[in-house]
Amino acid sequence: MRPLVSRSLALCAALCLGGCATTSQTAPAPEAPPPQAEQAQAPAEPQAPAAPTSVPAAPLERPEPLRLVVQANPASPIVSFRLVFHTGSVDDPKGKEGLTSLTADLLAEGGTQSLTSAQLLEALFPMAAELSSSTDKEFTVFAGRVHKDHLPRFLDIFTDVLLEPRFSPQEFERLRARALSDVRNGLRSENDELLGKVALDALLYQGHPYAHFVGGTEKGLESITLEDVKAHAARVFTQDRLVIGLAGPVDEALQKTVVSRLSELPASGAPRVELPPVPTTGGRALVVQKPTLSTAVSMGYVTPLRRGDPDFFPVSLALSYLGEHRQSSGVLFNELREKRGLNYGDYAYAEHFIEQPGTTYNRTNIARTQQHISVWIRPVVPANGVFATRGALYFLDRLVKQGIPQEKFELSRGFLLGYTRLWEQTDQRRLGYAIDSLFYGTPGFLEEYRAALAKMTPESVNAAVRRQLRPEALNFAFVTQDAQEFAKNLEEQPPSPITYASAKAPALLEDDKAIITWPLPIRADAIQVVPAQSFMEK
Amino acid sequence: MQRRFIPLLLLLLGVALPAAAAELAASPFFPYPMKVDRLPNGLTVVRVPFNSPGLIAYQTVVRVGSRNEVEAGKTGFAHFFEHMMFKGTKNFPEGEREKVISTYGFDDNAFTSDDLTVYHSYGPTAGLEKLVEIEADRFRNLEYSEPSFQTEALAVLGEYHKSAAQPYLKIEEELGRTIFTKHTYGHTTIGHYADIKAMPQAYQYSRTFFERWYTPDNVILVVVGDFNDDTLMQAVRKHYGPWDRKSPTITVPAEPPQTKERSVHIDWPQSTQPRHIFAWRTPASRLDTANAAIQTVLADYLVGPTSPLYKELVLDKQLAQELYGDFSIHRDPHLFGLVAVLQEEGNRAAVRDAFNAAVRELATGKVDASRVEAIKSNTRYGLLMGMETAKSVATQLSYFAGIFGTPDALAVHYQKVSEVKPGDLITFAKKYLTAANRTQLTLTPKKAGGQN
Repeated sequence: MRPLVSRSLALCAALCLGGCATTSQTAPAPEAPPPQAEQAQAPAEPQAPAAPTSVPAAPLERPEPLRLVVQANPASPIVSFRLVFHTGSVDDPKGKEGLTSLTADLLAEGGTQSLTSAQLLEALFPMAAELSSSTDKEFTVFAGRVHKDHLPRFLDIFTDVLLEPRFSPQEFERLRARALSDVRNGLRSENDELLGKVALDALLYQGHPYAHFVGGTEKGLESITLEDVKAHAARVFTQDRLVIGLAGPVDEALQKTVVSRLSELPASGAPRVELPPVPTTGGRALVVQKPTLSTAVSMGYVTPLRRGDPDFFPVSLALSYLGEHRQSSGVLFNELREKRGLNYGDYAYAEHFIEQPGTTYNRTNIARTQQHISVWIRPVVPANGVFATRGALYFLDRLVKQGIPQEKFELSRGFLLGYTRLWEQTDQRRLGYAIDSLFYGTPGFLEEYRAALAKMTPESVNAAVRRQLRPEALNFAFVTQDAQEFAKNLEEQPPSPITYASAKAPALLEDDKAIITWPLPIRADAIQVVPAQSFMEK
Repeated sequence: MQRRFIPLLLLLLGVALPAAAAELAASPFFPYPMKVDRLPNGLTVVRVPFNSPGLIAYQTVVRVGSRNEVEAGKTGFAHFFEHMMFKGTKNFPEGEREKVISTYGFDDNAFTSDDLTVYHSYGPTAGLEKLVEIEADRFRNLEYSEPSFQTEALAVLGEYHKSAAQPYLKIEEELGRTIFTKHTYGHTTIGHYADIKAMPQAYQYSRTFFERWYTPDNVILVVVGDFNDDTLMQAVRKHYGPWDRKSPTITVPAEPPQTKERSVHIDWPQSTQPRHIFAWRTPASRLDTANAAIQTVLADYLVGPTSPLYKELVLDKQLAQELYGDFSIHRDPHLFGLVAVLQEEGNRAAVRDAFNAAVRELATGKVDASRVEAIKSNTRYGLLMGMETAKSVATQLSYFAGIFGTPDALAVHYQKVSEVKPGDLITFAKKYLTAANRTQLTLTPKKAGGQN
C-alpha cells in the first residue's frame, strides 16, 4: 500500500492548479458483460435498451499460471518488475476485512527469512530500489524498480519477499496498527474526498464483496491474527493468479530466472470468489456526518459497460468531454469551477478511477468485473452542496439529451489522441496496461482506443451516450457537517438559490434558473445518514 | 510594523548565470547534455534532448512564490496568480488556450511553492511551435476581467477546503508562524484563510503582481524531449524576444536571529495520530556553500528508514508510526525538521528524548561513516530512478533551477551531496541543531489515533 523506499525529488508544499494528488484505493477489474459483437456492419442504431435491473458478474479472463509479459527496453538502465495477482479485497473473509491488503503489506515490508524488516530496508536503501505492494478490490500488485547495477541482489530480495516471508509478529502488529489508523484517521477524519468516494463504493455495492474499504474495516482488522495472514498468503498469492511483468533491460536469462523462482509459489489456493450480480437500484443517498468546512460529493451507478464493450470507447470520450480528470477542458470543470467558482474541480469517469500519485492518470491493474460510471464534485461550501450536485446533473442531462457539438467532439478526440500517449510513458504503466489487457481480453488497449477514436463521429458517440448514460440511475454520497439538515434538503428538494460575488453572463443565469430546481433523482426513503466515526466499523 | 529588508535579487545575482549560450555535457549527476541560451531580455532557455519519441515536456519556471508575498493581507497571492495565468489574453481570450491544449492533447497544469511557480505542459512535439506561441503570449500579454478574477478566487478557496481536513496544513501554518516572525516563509503557499476569502477584492494588486514578477529576467524556460533545437529556438526568439519587462528590486524582510527555543501546540479537533516535531532554522540553499547538500544527507542520517532512530522508534519499540526528515531546498534561510507521527500520546516524552539523544550524539562527534556513504548512494541512484520520462526530467531541472537560479543547479547540487563528508554533519549539527535555535511543535488530537 505504501511505497517502501523511494527517493527522488520531494517537491514539497507544491500547490497545483488542477488539484494535487488525492490517493484513494479501491477498484478492480470489470468484465465485459455485454456483447463482443464488433460494430461490424454499422447496425441500425440500437436505441436505449431497457435499463438492466442488475449487473451480472461476467468473469474476467484467466491468463495461464505465471503468464509472463515483457516490455523490453534495453536502453533503460532501470529494471521494472510488476507482479499482478488476481486477488484483492474481494478475497477478504467475512469478519476479516482488510486481510488481503495487510497480507500484501506484511510481505512487502515485513522482511524475509534471511532479512529482518530493518535489514530489508538497509539492503534496499543504497540502491534506492523501490519495492511496494498495492491492493485493490480484485487485484494486488507487487512492484519493484532497481538500477541494473543492483539487479542480482534486488532480484533475490524481491522474490524472497513472496517466497520466504518472515511473518514477524512484531511487524504484523506494526502494520496492523498502521492499517487501523488509516481507517480511523486517514479515511474517517483526514480526507473528505477519499471518504466520499469510499462511501459511494459502499452504497453502490451494498452487500457485495466490493462494499468494504480495501484497507479494511475496524472490526475486521482487529480480528485478524498473524496465523490468518500466513494462511491467506498461501491461499491467494498463488501461481494460478499471477501475471509476471518485466520491463527495461530484460534478457532471456532474467525472464527464466524470475519464472523459475516464482514457480515455487503454491500452484493454487483459495477458490475464486463468485461475485453476485449488483442491483442497479438508483436514487439512494448516503450522507456521512463529520466536522468539516465543506461538502464533498460523489455520485455514480453500476453498469455492465466495461472495457471490451463496443460502447466503452465512445462513452469514455463523452465522459472525457464532460470532465476529464484534473484537466481544464471538461464541461463540468468549466461550468462549475471556472464560470461559477463553486470549487476546485469537477470530473467524470467511465470506469473506476484512482489517480496514480504524481500524475493525473488512472492507475493500472485496478480492473473490476463489475464497473460503475461516476461524477466527482470536489468539496464545495456547504450552502452550495445541493446546487453543485444539481449543476452536475444538469450538464450530464444536457450531454445525454443534446449530445456533443461537432466542434467540441473534434477537440475531445484530438485531446485523447495525444493525451492517451502520456498514459504509457513509464515501464510500470506499459506493463500495467498490457496486463490489464490480458484480464479484460482487450489486446493493445490504448492503440485500440486511438483507432476507435479515429473512426468515431459525433453521431456514433451520442448514440452510445444515449444507450449508456442514465442520470436517473445515479446514487449519491456526501460528506458534510450538518448531515441531518442536508438529508432533509435532499428529501424535500427545495430550490437551491445561489448568489455570486461577481457579474455573470445572461446565458449562465439562464442555466442557473433550471439548475436551482433541477430534480434530484433521490428517493426520500433511500436517504441514509451515518456518522464518520462509525463508517467502515465492520 | 518594523521590518528589516534584504535585497532580494542579490540572491539571484549571487550565482553565476550562464553565458549567452552554453552547452553542458552529460555528467554522472545529470546524464544528458544540455543547451542553455540567454536572450537579450534576460530569459534563460534550457533544452535537453531526451528519448521520448514525438513528445516534449515544456516548463516555465517563474522565480516567484509565497516568499515574495511581502504586503500584509496578500498571502497566497503567488499561487492565486498561477491560476490567473490560465485566464487568457487579447490574442487568445479565455477558453482559446484550452482549445489549443485540447487539439494536441497536452497534459497542462502548474504548481506553486514557497519560492517558485512552474507552468508545465507535456504532450506531442507536433504542438510545440503553437505551444511556444501561446505560452509567450500569456507571459507577455495576460489580460483578464475582474469578474473572472473574482470567480477564480473562489476556486482557490475550494482548494483550501479540500486540504483543510488534513492536519499537515494546520501544522505548516503554525510551524511557519512560530519560526518566522518577519520573513514571508511565516505563511503557507496557499495563504491565510482570511486572505483567501479577501482575494476577490485585490484585482488591482494582481495586475501589479504580474508586472512585478512575470518578467523575462525572472523566468527560466525548460524544454525536454524530442524536438528540433533550431526550430524551437527560432520560435522562442520570435515569440519571447519582444518581452521586455524588468524585475524591480522588491525586498523580502529578513528574519532576525532566534535566541531561545520556541514551542507551539495544536489541539486537533478530530481524530488523528499525535505528532511531535523538532524544527531548527538553517541557512539558505546556495550552490556556493554545502549547506543544502549537508541537510539533504542529514535528514536521512537522523530519521531515514535505515537510521537507528527509525529502527528503534518505528520498527522495534513502535512508539512512532512514521518518522521523517523535513528539509527542502529554499532560497532564503528556512528550516530543517524531524517529524514523528506518534503511535500514541503517551510516547511523546520517549520520542523527544530519543530525538535529543541522536542529535547530541552527532553533535558530540560520533558519526557512522558507512551510513553517510549509503545515503549518498541512495541519493545518486534515486536521482537516476526519478528520470524516466521527459516530464520527470524537466520537473527536476525546473525545481532546482528555480530555487538556485542557474540551469545546472540539479547536477551541481547532487555533486555537492556526493562530496559531503561525515565530519560535515558533525559541524553542521553543532552549529545549527541547538536548543536555542529550535522550535518544537506538538499536536494532540481530540481522540488519540488508535484510541477511538
